[in-house]
Amino acid sequence: MLLSTSSDFNSRSKTITVGVLLTLLLIFSFSSLRHESWLRLYDFFLWLETTPFGVLGKTWGAVFAIVEAVHLLAMALLGGAVLISDARLLGWCFTDVPAVKIQNEAHKVFKVGLVVVLFTGVFMACGVAGKVYWLPVFWYKMLALATGIFFVFFIRRPMLQRNFRELNPWVVKLVAVSSMLVWITVAATGRWIGFAGS
Amino acid sequence: MNEFIYNISMWVDGTSWSAKLHESYYMYNWVESTHVLTLILCLGMLFVIDLRMLGYAFRDVSASSIANRLNIPMLLGFIIMFITGILLFYAVPIRTSQSIWFRFKMVLLVAAAINAFIFHKQMNESVSSWGNDARAPSAVRKGAFLSLAFWSIIVICGRLIAYDWFDCEYTDAGSLSQVLSGCIDGQTQF
Repeated sequence: MLLSTSSDFNSRSKTITVGVLLTLLLIFSFSSLRHESWLRLYDFFLWLETTPFGVLGKTWGAVFAIVEAVHLLAMALLGGAVLISDARLLGWCFTDVPAVKIQNEAHKVFKVGLVVVLFTGVFMACGVAGKVYWLPVFWYKMLALATGIFFVFFIRRPMLQRNFRELNPWVVKLVAVSSMLVWITVAATGRWIGFAGS
Repeated sequence: MNEFIYNISMWVDGTSWSAKLHESYYMYNWVESTHVLTLILCLGMLFVIDLRMLGYAFRDVSASSIANRLNIPMLLGFIIMFITGILLFYAVPIRTSQSIWFRFKMVLLVAAAINAFIFHKQMNESVSSWGNDARAPSAVRKGAFLSLAFWSIIVICGRLIAYDWFDCEYTDAGSLSQVLSGCIDGQTQF
């Protein structure tokens, strides 16, 4: 009884935290703060081009191209992990294997993919920082990526660590579909940066 | 052989749909985006299968289960990736057929296909005896490692096609690069 009350309190406080964060994000998005922050970031982006990553990315086209390919390979690894774990939650595959086991194994692969994606992504952004700063699709990708990371570590993962039987199956399915949509958006907007910048 | 490829590419380039696809900003970019997204689907599944065989991922799930369940989405991704790949070639046939990276990529695709055939044959013949082990036997592990290596280089070559460093018009006549790219003397530059 005590445990249940404590768990309910935690769930409620987490829900309130997410609600507050979303409200703050909405206020930020629709106020002049967003534009002012964007303007202030310009010097930072110009500085990124002067960092060793930026200089290397701009000077050595071959290095930049290979890092791009590694970024894509890491996205494939990350995408594979996301799709397998979400397909399991939707009941599309591995239904004879406990969902917790699939989630834990997929999460390990996901973390490796994410680290490589972030590292290579920062490298690439440094090389073309002055250009991507002006591309709306770059900011959409950053927003989708931040949403994806937040979603995995603060919503999806904590939720799935609870006893599956306590969870409403429709909530689990909704989480899986949302997760797939967020990461497909990350991949698609990432590809579109190349088109918008050319 | 190079002249034959060049003539075929010239003919494809002359078809109206090739030019339309190339010149359509949204259509071309959608085809390329679909190519990349399905590459993520196909290689995502392939990497997990290979890493499972090597004992680096999903060690608690049986190898046959991983391979059998992920084969279907992997093949689905591959088919769409293949079709969109043909469309990308169709849109820019001459430059692509004379890209050194595209030629490497085609050779590696054949090598990856042969490796996949041998890998699946070896796996299906013996999986009942080691399917629940954390690592596959040495022969299957070699196949998985080669698969990872082939596909990683295929993706790198695919990415490099976009760059023009070794295009016929930027390299010296008779150089190794021109020989490997199949440049034709006196051809129209694109």
